[in-house]
Amino acid sequence: MSNGRVSLKKIVKRHGAFTALHGIDLDIEPGEFFALLGPSGSGKTTTLRIVAGLEEASEGRVFLDSTDITNTEPGDRDVAMVFQSYALYPHMNVRQNIAFPMRMVGMPKGEIDAAVQDAAKKVHIEHLLDRKPGQLSGGQQQRCALARAIVRKPRLFLLDEPLSNLDAKLRLETRGELKKLQRSLGVTTIYVTHDQEEAMTIADRMAVFMDGQIVQVGSPKFVFDNPATADVANFIGSPPMNLIPASYADGRIRIGAHELQTSCRVGGERNVIAGIRPSSVRIGPSGIPARIDLIENLGDALLLDLSLDQMTIRARTGTEVTSREGESVFFSADPTAVHLFDAVTRVRIND
Amino acid sequence: MQTPVAARERRFAIYLFLPAFLVLLVTTTVPLIYLAWTSVNRVDLTSPWIKGFAGADNYSKMLGDPRFWNSLELTVIYTGTTVVLQMLIGLGLALLVLQIPRGQGILRVAAIIPIVLAPVVVGLFWRTLVLAPDFGVLDFVMRALGFGSHDWLGDPNLALASVIVIHTWQWTPFAFLVILASLSSLPPDIFEAARIDRASSVQRFWYITLPLIRPALVIVVIMRMMVALSAFAAIFAATGGGPGSATEILNLYTYRTSFTELNFGYGAALAMVLLAVTLLVSYSMFRLRTAR
Ligand SMILES: Nc1ncnc2c1ncn2[C@@H]1O[C@H](COP(=O)(O)OP(=O)(O)O)[C@@H](O)[C@H]1O
Ligand SMILES: [Mg+2]
Repeated sequence: MSNGRVSLKKIVKRHGAFTALHGIDLDIEPGEFFALLGPSGSGKTTTLRIVAGLEEASEGRVFLDSTDITNTEPGDRDVAMVFQSYALYPHMNVRQNIAFPMRMVGMPKGEIDAAVQDAAKKVHIEHLLDRKPGQLSGGQQQRCALARAIVRKPRLFLLDEPLSNLDAKLRLETRGELKKLQRSLGVTTIYVTHDQEEAMTIADRMAVFMDGQIVQVGSPKFVFDNPATADVANFIGSPPMNLIPASYADGRIRIGAHELQTSCRVGGERNVIAGIRPSSVRIGPSGIPARIDLIENLGDALLLDLSLDQMTIRARTGTEVTSREGESVFFSADPTAVHLFDAVTRVRIND
Repeated sequence: MQTPVAARERRFAIYLFLPAFLVLLVTTTVPLIYLAWTSVNRVDLTSPWIKGFAGADNYSKMLGDPRFWNSLELTVIYTGTTVVLQMLIGLGLALLVLQIPRGQGILRVAAIIPIVLAPVVVGLFWRTLVLAPDFGVLDFVMRALGFGSHDWLGDPNLALASVIVIHTWQWTPFAFLVILASLSSLPPDIFEAARIDRASSVQRFWYITLPLIRPALVIVVIMRMMVALSAFAAIFAATGGGPGSATEILNLYTYRTSFTELNFGYGAALAMVLLAVTLLVSYSMFRLRTAR
């Protein structure tokens, strides 16, 4: 099995006066399913295109298996890419589309045919080989683009929001298939998405992008449990984490007139942002008083909008809660479930 | 049974349609029928006493007329060469211009200038300013380079090439503009995909660019062929079909037969042949276009 270790060293990308990437450092292990996650415009696509060679980095270097490929042509990098638009060749049928990367290097026809069949089978489009892209549904086009990428057995797959043009149901199905396909092929994969749930479910590890910088790298579970900044905390998880301004003193926080115990053992006093995931908010007989503004019933869970001093705090509870809209309740949170971020730098305080 | 509203709509449509229809009838259909009729008659103003129905005489005369075969050959050469040159130069220029980041707009405007000039002006301009022996621009350059002076339009060996160059100069911008528009509308991500798929720039041109702009190319070829087949004014102004019959394409032969030699019957028959050739070429080109 070929390797596929990717290293980005201090990648900077400028468009005139605008800097899209401020020095990206990243190491991706062979065979890893790695997601680049971040809000729109945070520089994920730019990073992917620099790895592909479609865009030049203004500064920094790109390595693939310890070879410096910073100035290598895209075609010589041994990478395959699935574009967000799929970028299928409209005048060729599916068979010709999938065969294209091999035809370009003069592979014998017999080998090409076998490889095309094999790739088409892996993504279940054997029956569509004679159609033109214009005669395919969005999902079928996506599979065709995928087949064109896997047919070459490259060292690296680059996928730019490959599921974003599919409807919700198909997106879920394809997500699972993609993951299985990647596992069976064992090829290093970089996957760009702005959908945190997609990254959480599909990736082995991920890098969270914000404003042209990587703010955190880690497994989805680690990032979810230990968001590095308040912004990451807010971006990951649905509904997003409650971020509540508070003051901190020796392990306890004050929200308005009320106190809450945390597991933080940092000493001293400071202003903080307390982060509590909606699923960690407990409704009970004691704690901080708040009013229920709205109850959304999800069937197996309830989403509550609680108001406290002009703030809205969302809670996700079991259906056993019997309080009604307009009633007052008390809420609290387990000390270990309270994330603390510095009020000014927004960086995580507790470990 | 028509409703009154539908009937009124219909009448209104006919009123709208009628004037254009009458004008077309008077200006194209009637002359065409008259032309066809003339072509099967003997109408020769130099010998007006021989008149009357001639049947296919004018047409059979053509078979043994070397000047007709010469003009037909020149028409084929003229049309073929000008169209091929326009396509090649137009495509080459469009590909080049696409590479430049700035100033495309100015080039597009500049390209329109030759197109909007009247062909007769173009013919005269080339004849007096560019191709005239001794003081034309081209001769000036050729003498400076040591190739000596040439009579570009007066030399039977050079005249055809000269009128081909004139036509190509005037109409290449059209091909250029259409191809440029077609090229700039191609989605860039397809070319990026091809780069990642290991296609060299030559392969990208052959397997991606050319097939995708094929419809535009075919349309341009059809339009350029029709115009080349009916070319007249620029050649007429530059050489008048001469020297001798060196640039006498079918159009000019028809004109000279009818209006210089005043043999209207034979001229009409030649015009009918030109019409048939044009129709045949257009039809086969359109068939080619819809074939895929
Ligand atoms: N060619 C360009 N010129 C100027 N700005 C660009 C260009 N390409 C991308 N950008 C900017 O760079 C930033 C990052 O873009 P991108 O990598 O596409 O973000 P995303 O994370 O949504 O994929 C965006 O703010 C975008 O507007
Ligand atoms: Mg993007």
